[in-house]
Amino acid sequence: MKLPLSWLSEYVDISGVPAQALSDKLLSIGFEVEEIIEPRKDISGVVVGHVLSIERNVNSEKLWVCQIDIGGEVVQIVTGAQNVSKGDFVPVATVGACLPGGKKIVPAVLRGVDSYGMLCSGGELEVDDDVIDGASVDGILILPKDSKVGENIMHTLGIDDTVLDVSITANRPDCQAVVNIAREIAILLGKKFRAPKFTYKTVDLPAEFPPVRIENKDLCSRYIGRIIKNIKIEKSPKWLRDRLRMCGIRPINNIVDITNYVLLEIGQPLHAFDRRFIDGEIIVRRGKADESIVALDGNKYDVEGSLVIADSHKPLAIAGIMGGEYTSILPDTVDVFLEAARFERSNVRRTSRKIGLRSDSSSRYEKGVDWASTELGSNRALALMDMLDCGQILSGVTADSVETPKQKVITTSKEQICSLLGIDIEKKTIISILKKQGFDVTSKGKVITCTVPLVREDIDAYPDLAEDIMRFYGYDNIVSTNSENTHQTKGGLNVHDVNTDALKAKLTALGLDEILNYSFISPEACDKLLLDPSDYRRGEIAIKNPLSRDISVMRTQLLTCMLSSIARNVTRKNDIMSFFELGKVFIPYELPINKLPDERDVLCIGLCGSGDFYTVKAIVGEVLGIFGITPDYTPCTQPYMHPKQSLSFDIDGAKGEFGKVHPLVCENYDLPNGVYIAHIDLTEALRTPIKVAKSKPISKLPPVDRDLALVMEKSVPVGTLLSAVKAVSPYIEEVKLFDIYDGEQIPDGYKSVAFSMRLQPTDSTFSDAQIKQIVEAVLSKSAEFGAKLR
Amino acid sequence: MTPEQIKADYIDKIERVGSEKELADLKAAIFGKSGVITELTRSLKDLPNEEKPAAGKKINDLRVEILALCDKKEAELHRAAIERQLNSETLDLSIDKPFRTVGAIHPINQIKKRLTDYFVGNGYIVYDSPEIETDYYNFQALNIPPDHPARDMQDTFFIGDGMLLRSQTSSGQVRLMEKVKPPLKMICPGRVFRADDDSTHSPVFHQMEGLVVDKNVTLCDLKGALEGFAKFIFGGQTRIRFRPSYFPFTEPSVEVDVSCFNCGGEGCRVCKNTGWIEILGAGMVNRKVLANCGIDPDEYQGFAFGLGLDRITMILCEINDIKLLWENDVRFLRAFRGQGGDK
Repeated sequence: MKLPLSWLSEYVDISGVPAQALSDKLLSIGFEVEEIIEPRKDISGVVVGHVLSIERNVNSEKLWVCQIDIGGEVVQIVTGAQNVSKGDFVPVATVGACLPGGKKIVPAVLRGVDSYGMLCSGGELEVDDDVIDGASVDGILILPKDSKVGENIMHTLGIDDTVLDVSITANRPDCQAVVNIAREIAILLGKKFRAPKFTYKTVDLPAEFPPVRIENKDLCSRYIGRIIKNIKIEKSPKWLRDRLRMCGIRPINNIVDITNYVLLEIGQPLHAFDRRFIDGEIIVRRGKADESIVALDGNKYDVEGSLVIADSHKPLAIAGIMGGEYTSILPDTVDVFLEAARFERSNVRRTSRKIGLRSDSSSRYEKGVDWASTELGSNRALALMDMLDCGQILSGVTADSVETPKQKVITTSKEQICSLLGIDIEKKTIISILKKQGFDVTSKGKVITCTVPLVREDIDAYPDLAEDIMRFYGYDNIVSTNSENTHQTKGGLNVHDVNTDALKAKLTALGLDEILNYSFISPEACDKLLLDPSDYRRGEIAIKNPLSRDISVMRTQLLTCMLSSIARNVTRKNDIMSFFELGKVFIPYELPINKLPDERDVLCIGLCGSGDFYTVKAIVGEVLGIFGITPDYTPCTQPYMHPKQSLSFDIDGAKGEFGKVHPLVCENYDLPNGVYIAHIDLTEALRTPIKVAKSKPISKLPPVDRDLALVMEKSVPVGTLLSAVKAVSPYIEEVKLFDIYDGEQIPDGYKSVAFSMRLQPTDSTFSDAQIKQIVEAVLSKSAEFGAKLR
Repeated sequence: MTPEQIKADYIDKIERVGSEKELADLKAAIFGKSGVITELTRSLKDLPNEEKPAAGKKINDLRVEILALCDKKEAELHRAAIERQLNSETLDLSIDKPFRTVGAIHPINQIKKRLTDYFVGNGYIVYDSPEIETDYYNFQALNIPPDHPARDMQDTFFIGDGMLLRSQTSSGQVRLMEKVKPPLKMICPGRVFRADDDSTHSPVFHQMEGLVVDKNVTLCDLKGALEGFAKFIFGGQTRIRFRPSYFPFTEPSVEVDVSCFNCGGEGCRVCKNTGWIEILGAGMVNRKVLANCGIDPDEYQGFAFGLGLDRITMILCEINDIKLLWENDVRFLRAFRGQGGDK
């Protein structure tokens, strides 16, 4: 909320309190000043001058020599402007003045005549007609006749005010009004609050007041209508226009400006109708079928079901949001019907979103306008109309309203409040702070009874009072205590976190960096991964209001993000990387979703320039090893994988695949060929406690190593062969592959596989015969694979 | 040869030996099959019996003496050989050769881990809560009814009828309190989502919720808990400040500032010359929230806090651009491979 200090100072004396100090104080009671908007600093030394005389420069056709009173001094200034006359009031940049753009004024001689200053145009002061009339003309800015000679031009133009941009929390809609924030500041500074004028003269003229009838009292709890006759539509006075402008509202005419002024000052939205177009009664009702209205913005809105203000025949306004064009105030408007109403905030919010129309009024109603402000706002507007002599205010009132709502009463005690806060505050202090804020407080024994003013709709229970006490008692008085009066609790990580830590420790030890990506991706992601039309991963949950299409569906896999992250690095000439991401994927049970989806924990690994198939296979083995899982690999059929360099597994709470990325997918992501990935669903594994590792006996007997080289067909899977070899005898402790060769001396279509076996005796050292027996058994097992000793 | 001759001759020879090989040859000439001492011993049998003990002792003394001399020489020569080898093994110590380095945990998760460990050590459990939530858990149970203006405080992503991407980890408060009754202390770290994307906001970020509910929990206890945390993470000199604020699920509500760790409160670039850095929002759990979760607000009270992990990470790790957190640039991640920086 914009708070011009000149406006604030009408209701509370803030003299001697610099803007920064005021901001700091406001912060201590919960209102953060987001910005202190200082007046322009690029203009100085420009004052109002009165043209005493003007005559031609004898040496020039175009130049004029003026004698100008700048307040206590008359200076001679030569000007080239043609619109200045004797008696005009003009902005004078005196010698030493600074103008926007850094221009400095020095004495000069123009065509032989001395000139001590410069007359300014609106453009030179960088102001236009919005600030003051005549500022946009080509020539010198001619100021109003009532301008004060010698006055700083900033003040004359009304651009010398400091404005605080105050952030008002959602619980204090009442402080969206200048008077209410002024009341808070008065308490804060210990100054008296000066209420604005709410009184005005009325006349008793015959007039027809339309009866008011509210059909939906749950949506409109109060409606007051007043009539002002014989109004003069004109421009508002400068001070009023200046204030609206500082608060970001464009001045229009005196009547509309006053309604906007009251909106800012009292927090009550008002609406002025041209009385002549109201036909019959005023009805607050829901829009009928096919009913629509052309609003003040010139657009037509369908108002079926929305709350409207209607007369006997047609809707006149969309309640709380915008008036209709038909009944708007025009230059020839004679009689005005002034509406002050209280519309229910959530309904205004819903309607505004439904029809797609927002206004200063609707955003104010959405925050919540209290019951009491309705009448205050109406009266304040009439007081201003009276003051500005806008027309004749009729004494009559037409209204429909339920009874004054009951004020909330909260009973509490000093003990209750202090037990929440943890500090001791004297009862009389509590009562005094609450009273200052307008609460009606009585105290009997331990009981404090507090009646809440209608304007404070946020107050529900004693903690709310505790907060209001602390705001003025000072939060600095809250001390630090260490929960001495509470139970000891047993904290700890959950299984998921413990397992996650173990997993990440291993992955980083293997040299992988952890990456993070958004949880939403593009709906085209599955195409880039070549997924089948029927693939379940295409069933992504769509966000109804995404920021952009690129991030509009919840990811069902982490591959897209991994490949994009690698690609981004490659573009930046970071060619080598080993990444992992441990993140959630979101698998709906049904689409459109009718219950919360399955959130699954997935590990994705990506290698680029940092290894091959066997590297990623080794990493997967290490990862599964953490959870005690020995995988059984099967061929992988995922369309994004290289068909000959990838494997799948699904065992003991871990499911996934790994291998080389398909070259077509690499093309889709602009990746070099040779990216390896693993994608493992670890949801169950991460939720199962990891067993403590157990030791294995170590033999004291010396092991025996035997190397073998076998020749077999190329198609024989060596891993399978070696596993079979190891299973031949319990004495074979380890089988290590050390060479696969298919060059010279090996027949075509064959390969030589060399491996080393470590034989470990358990009871006594091996005899030569025993060793021979084991080797024979290995050879006969190998023969089943068609492998022969080389 | 007599023992005396041998002594005179071979001691000198041993002294002059220049290599381990020569010494081995010499030892063979003395102690070998036809070595001089072997010969001498063999000649004992020719002596009369009464002379044998004296002669035997003499020979043995000679053997011991020469052997000791040989051992000493051998050690000297071996040492010299090793020295020569070492001298030949000069390396250029100024260069580096690559070795596999450990990877980096993402900075956000490093900070999350630090904070988690701190709170776990203080008796908090860690509670995980879903990222896709119902309107009830994200809003209504937290005292934010439909069409409440507080919903404007957050731009929420919606995915379906009454379902959304959680906009705050506060939803975890409700889920936990429905299941577990006081006394309870928990933190709930996790991802949250808001439709906000500019130079200081990203649509995905991380929060850590904290909740303590018991009898007799006070606003002062909240300050104590947060001060302990602030000192742990920003250093022992850190002070904290409460400012009144508004959250629908706490009352009273406060914004919490920490004294600037960079300037100590004097005012600097880090704290934008205010001396304070806003780090989290907190308050006493609203009575309505407790009641919504089936906890009697007349018997129990509690405090809750919620902090932005991304923001604290950016402050602590001096990350000046929020985009860096999500770009996964290897050069950025590399800085986080070590455990701890220079602070």
